[in-house]
Amino acid sequence: MPRVHVQLVHVVKKFGAVAAVDDVSLDVQEGSFTTLLGPSGCGKTTTLRLIAGFYEPDQGEIWIGGKRMNDVPPHKRPTAMVFQEYALFPHMTVFENVAYGLRMRRLPRKEIEERVGSILEFVGLPGLEGKFPHQLSGGQQQRVALARALVVEPEVLLLDEPLSNLDAKLRIRVRTEIREIQRRLKKTTIYVTHDQEEALSISDVIAVMDRGRIVQVGTPTEIYHRPANRFVADFVGLANFAQGTVVEAVDGRVTVDIGGSRLSITGEDASLRPGDQVVISVRPEAIRLSAHPSSAGENTLKGMITSTSFLGSVTRFWVRVGEMEWIVDVPGGDPEGAAGERYLFVPPENIRVVEKI
Amino acid sequence: MLEWAGTRRGRVLLYDPGLALAFILVAGLLVVFVVLPTLRVISYPALADYLAVPAQPRWIQAIRNSLAMMVLSTTTATAVGFLFAFATSRGLPGARLFATIAMLPLFAPPFMVAFSYILMFGRNGLITRELLGLNVNIFGWPGLWLVQTVAFFPYAALIISGVLEAINPSMEYAARDLGAREWDVYRTLVIPLARPGITAAALLVAISVLADFGNAVLIAGNFPLLATEAWFLIEGWADLKGAAIAVSLLLIPTVGLFLLERKWVRQRVYTVVTGRGTRVSRASVPAFLKWPVVLACSLVSLLVLIVYVGVFVGSFVTTWGYNWRLTLDHWLLAKDWLGPLLNSLKVGVASAVLTTVIAVTAAFLTACYRLYGSRFLDFTAVVPAALPGVFVGVGFLLTFSRPPLELVGTAWALILALTFWHMPMGYQAALAGLAQIERAIQEAAANLGASGLRTFVDIYLPLLRHAVIASFTTSFMRAVTNLSIAVFLVTPGNMVGTFAILMAINNGNWGTAAALTVALLVVSLAILAIGQTLLGRGLRPLPSG
Repeated sequence: MPRVHVQLVHVVKKFGAVAAVDDVSLDVQEGSFTTLLGPSGCGKTTTLRLIAGFYEPDQGEIWIGGKRMNDVPPHKRPTAMVFQEYALFPHMTVFENVAYGLRMRRLPRKEIEERVGSILEFVGLPGLEGKFPHQLSGGQQQRVALARALVVEPEVLLLDEPLSNLDAKLRIRVRTEIREIQRRLKKTTIYVTHDQEEALSISDVIAVMDRGRIVQVGTPTEIYHRPANRFVADFVGLANFAQGTVVEAVDGRVTVDIGGSRLSITGEDASLRPGDQVVISVRPEAIRLSAHPSSAGENTLKGMITSTSFLGSVTRFWVRVGEMEWIVDVPGGDPEGAAGERYLFVPPENIRVVEKI
Repeated sequence: MLEWAGTRRGRVLLYDPGLALAFILVAGLLVVFVVLPTLRVISYPALADYLAVPAQPRWIQAIRNSLAMMVLSTTTATAVGFLFAFATSRGLPGARLFATIAMLPLFAPPFMVAFSYILMFGRNGLITRELLGLNVNIFGWPGLWLVQTVAFFPYAALIISGVLEAINPSMEYAARDLGAREWDVYRTLVIPLARPGITAAALLVAISVLADFGNAVLIAGNFPLLATEAWFLIEGWADLKGAAIAVSLLLIPTVGLFLLERKWVRQRVYTVVTGRGTRVSRASVPAFLKWPVVLACSLVSLLVLIVYVGVFVGSFVTTWGYNWRLTLDHWLLAKDWLGPLLNSLKVGVASAVLTTVIAVTAAFLTACYRLYGSRFLDFTAVVPAALPGVFVGVGFLLTFSRPPLELVGTAWALILALTFWHMPMGYQAALAGLAQIERAIQEAAANLGASGLRTFVDIYLPLLRHAVIASFTTSFMRAVTNLSIAVFLVTPGNMVGTFAILMAINNGNWGTAAALTVALLVVSLAILAIGQTLLGRGLRPLPSG
């Protein structure tokens, strides 16, 4: 059983009257890659800065490695951070930038040189020691920032949207590299991003934040397939939402009436009662589309295609069923000549009740 | 019709006569009113006269004094400027007050600090003699040092605060995160990053100190300086040659410092590029730094406020130093100085309009077209910033006292001298404004059939109104408060306010001088306020967000 490495206990941070972080509690396991995910202004960066010690919490406690961190200044915490805009020192060379943290720790010159040399090799930047940050490409600057944080051998590595200044292709490559480095070093890492795809691809654990609170903690698959509420379902990936009334709830099998059509749902909590008003969500790729009704007839809706869009790996269909428009993604697919009536099959295990009204 | 950067140089002019005319006109004006007077001054004394300089003790003394004052005043003014910049950019207690205080001397007549300190700290000083019972002689180099520090620290504060504010707060967090203590952050990060800005500020302050005529003429007493020597030689001995030598000697260090600043320091200013990341708030300044800085800034602020209080009070005192009864006489006798004040306004408006029109046109020509002579135009539009006012004054006096262009004796001599002396401010404001306008806009206008001048009038002028208003306001304020050029070019027929003040002070009419100074200050602040409202209103219709 891995031990808890970083622990936030009921942490509150206010700026003026606004609580940027509002009663956040989180356990980060040792060696794990944990991501704080949420839209801008949700408090994820503030949470990271509280862990680094740039802000002091107004309430609550922060623990790292069994030690209470409240009132410990940033330079005495076992954390190192990679900043969104890198924050490389423009008047120092790559070597001096990376050596900075070691110099502040008063290490002997020789040891500094060895450690800087080996970390630059580790991140794949040997031979650039004498260059200034403005002479490097965005990707190289990124790696210098990473090397500068890693070289001080922090217990916990903090990354604040480190990929947001890179172009799309490079972003995917660098995030794979970061994940690879983290795995090799088994370093506890806390990563902040607003990009749900990035979070899903890179993390062991995702904590989704909304308006200063953590709304769900789980593995990427849990977050994607079992969103705790409508916000998570909406923010992570694309989802169809529909409002309905529970007509039956027996043994974890719930039947919901949506505008006259009935959909069965499996795997739900037993807390639902007939008559409850609920919002359900279904991922577009979970729905199957067919020209003919399925033999069973269960969870099948009849609709009209209103619009299509070819997205490369999938084709997206907008299908009108009664009052509601469903989005359906079909792998491959061919929008050519797709029109008219279609049957939607919604597998019961892929429907989530995300809100009770 | 035309192509832009891609075409061979100069081709544009053949196709577009309006543009060609504008180019020739602007270049011609700059040659006649910048290049010609400069060459005339330098070549007025013979080589033998220059070679004789080291043999004359009075020259050697003036050179030594000027350089010594430069070192002293520049050091203190830059240091005080840094403290103010630090206090305002880090949001220390009183930051907004300090920011306002540091702006005040920028709008005042340049000699006002000296005048007020004579009133407050001089032999008949309100503070030194009346309140403290001291007998202090403020005249001489210590008085000048104090006055120049107070008068010029705002320039340093302005430049340094720009540099300090550009330091990305994340970098300071990164340093702390990597183990730097408070002092380490300043030692390894803030000061090295600010150093080029501090150097640039010091160089610009040094130019101002060397060229400072107003304060020196009032307070330096029997302390020869290059900046005042020219006027003394002309006033006392009608020695034009001596005056030309004095201002030419002054030109060597000012041009040297100017080139150093532009070619060397400016390229070393670290432009700290911040990504699109959220601007995080700065970490707070530790107490051991905070309170000493606040204390120092408060003391200097007091000295700045005394400048204004002194002159204001001075305008209501019957006879300063002898009869402290308050009176409105100096204000009621306005007819004594209303004429000069109106002349100042006339000169101010005329030169500000000319500066702005010529500067914007020149900037348009150099920034938007590649023409033969573009670099020459650029250089001559910028170089007056390196010329001391007294140099320009002597230059116009020597060049335009005789046909074919006999301007001295008319108001035009002063108007044109100020127009071209202020050219760099208007030109650089316009260039900055133009840099924000996309080239595609010009191409679109040309594509739709507009000629070069049409593009300028229809597209650029409306978009440049910010630069135009800024240029007009600064030129006007500097023109009405100018003394260094005015002393050489005014005649009894076109007396201006600043010169009338100098005369009144020299004649002991301190009350009149104070009232006129306050009036001048009110006028320039009123123009500033109008300019800022225009800017505010002008920008409001633009869509926000």
